[in-house]
Amino acid sequence: MKIEREIRNDHLARIEGKAGVVVEIGDKINARINVTEGPRFFEVLARNRKYEDVPSICSRICSFCSIPHKLTPIEAIENALSIEVGEQIKEIRNMLYFGNVVESHALHLLLFVLPDYLGFADAFSMAKNYQDLMKKGLLLKNFGAMVQEIIGKREIHPENPVVGGFGKLPEEKEIKKIIQGGKEAVRASIELVDFMVEYEYPSFMNMERNHLSIKPYSGYGVYGDEIVASDGNKFKINEYKNNIEERVIPYSFSKGSYYKNSPFMVGALSRLVNNRNLIEGSAKDLLNKYSNFIRAENCFANNFAQAVEMVYFIEKIIEIAEKIKIKKEEKAKGGKSGHGFAVTEAPRGMLIYEVEIEDEIVKYMNVITPTAMFLPMMERDAENMAKGMWNNGYRDVELIGKKVEMAIRAYDPCISCSVHAVKK
Amino acid sequence: MKLKIGIYGLTSCYGCQLRMASVKDILEISNNFEIVCWKMMSSKGEIEQCDIAFVEGSVTTEKDEEEIKMIREKSKIVVAMGSCAIHGGVQGSLLGEDYKKIFKEVYGENSVDYKAKIGEPLKKYIKVDYNLPGCPPEENEVVYYLATFGMGTYPEEKDYPVCAECRRNGYPCLLIEKNEPCLGPIIVAGCNARCPAHNVACIGCRGALQHNVAWFDSLAITFKNRGINKEEIKKRMEIFCKQSEKIEEIIEKVFG
Repeated sequence: MKIEREIRNDHLARIEGKAGVVVEIGDKINARINVTEGPRFFEVLARNRKYEDVPSICSRICSFCSIPHKLTPIEAIENALSIEVGEQIKEIRNMLYFGNVVESHALHLLLFVLPDYLGFADAFSMAKNYQDLMKKGLLLKNFGAMVQEIIGKREIHPENPVVGGFGKLPEEKEIKKIIQGGKEAVRASIELVDFMVEYEYPSFMNMERNHLSIKPYSGYGVYGDEIVASDGNKFKINEYKNNIEERVIPYSFSKGSYYKNSPFMVGALSRLVNNRNLIEGSAKDLLNKYSNFIRAENCFANNFAQAVEMVYFIEKIIEIAEKIKIKKEEKAKGGKSGHGFAVTEAPRGMLIYEVEIEDEIVKYMNVITPTAMFLPMMERDAENMAKGMWNNGYRDVELIGKKVEMAIRAYDPCISCSVHAVKK
Repeated sequence: MKLKIGIYGLTSCYGCQLRMASVKDILEISNNFEIVCWKMMSSKGEIEQCDIAFVEGSVTTEKDEEEIKMIREKSKIVVAMGSCAIHGGVQGSLLGEDYKKIFKEVYGENSVDYKAKIGEPLKKYIKVDYNLPGCPPEENEVVYYLATFGMGTYPEEKDYPVCAECRRNGYPCLLIEKNEPCLGPIIVAGCNARCPAHNVACIGCRGALQHNVAWFDSLAITFKNRGINKEEIKKRMEIFCKQSEKIEEIIEKVFG
């Protein structure tokens, strides 16, 4: 192909991790996302280590989603060793996980996405003109952080969640703090949804696609053992390798995933496309009010979906906190060897862990992260954006480049996650 | 004139930058400095001349190597921020593995256009002026480092172990009372014994204590007295800081 124009950005700003994008414009238009963040081989790091130490290593895959990268390997290890934790532990873990989703979505929208919408280089300059918006965003971020600090005992890479339970359970007065902070956070999150609907999605980005998510054990939760696709198909987590195929991309340290030989999407939008009927409370009202903003065919709907999810998860955190009566509980125990799987809904989408343990030592681990799953789809949408702009007569490559970045940011890619490196 | 600051990330989880971005009152604090480049946060700015560079991550690709050298050239002071930058981090513990073998295991016979290697700390490539330990660093430490530079002075690293903070807080000793392999005696303080506070043994995320202190021997000898073996402690220390030259020395001292 003869290339007439090239748009190249070696280091995308305002994303987590290091990746670049190249758009080539000629008789065809191509886009490539180059993941240049170095590989870190977490599957190798986990091998031959005591299983208790492995979740602490895994959480270092990513800071924005260090809770999912802690709780998902814990779940896989507990499944492998038949360790059964009680309802109380499950509920506290839910609060912790939901807190992470709230913080992650708030950071993504506030620091990475909204500066694009409002025409600023960053949140620092945006804050000068949009103080109120910034305040709301920070309030949401801080609420999520507080939940993680109280339950996980550290906002980033908490060490309190362990296999079998927690080092220390939260105290009654700390739970009260969560309830108090939550009330204000709900209001802020609803206002943020109202703000997000002021922006329309470019229609030339519409494209049919498959959405994959879990079928939650309860409510619109983040734990489950079955994966559902928007084409009506479903499969159990232990069959993930038969359904999700990973391919090496020559220009990327991250692999890309395919479902039925095609790119697919995961994340907030995919969850709402598949499980919208499970949403309750104020988030349900908002979905009814703004029903045409959940659009399965447009990646920009993911930002709106994240805002709606924040409302749901904050209300759920309050609901659990109001119900729970913390009672002392020993850590659950189980066997020494086994093979286990786990899938959860991290902020950016499904996160899969598989682990094999022999006599308390991890012998095999496999991880598929959301970003590795949606990478080929994200690349396609980057291309759709360039095509759409070009075909609509835009010739300013800088502007096209900026819009391509916006399409990429809509996915909330987590590059550190993607290069954890997957083993066949 | 405001101090110029650059905040950079090599290969890592971006947790140190996230810690920095989520410091309370960061918006006000940032008003006291001029941030010349912070890719994670802003679309303006490249690696530019600055007074202080905070660098997170390990050198894991050729690109990382080029970048860290350029950052060194353009910055008056370079601060290695977090365990990856200081010791190579969790990924640095692969040192000694056959890189080609691991690569093949993950990517098969396929090749990737960029060159990568096992993660190494910044000091293997450039002169580092200060270390800001933690995985991630604590909020008050980030503020302390920024504040000292802002006042025209410099931060001092802690020369005592996590145990000191744990004792001061009066937490039960996991090592003595529960026989758990808590690395408190040999890991640099600053976290206020965060994990022992909630009954979780120190896993060593902040890295090995860099200074020899008088009461070190009496604390660390506890490992030996409790019957925890040398290999177990060594392996546990290597999770976060295999590439710290202090490990051998410490192990030698404790187990003799």
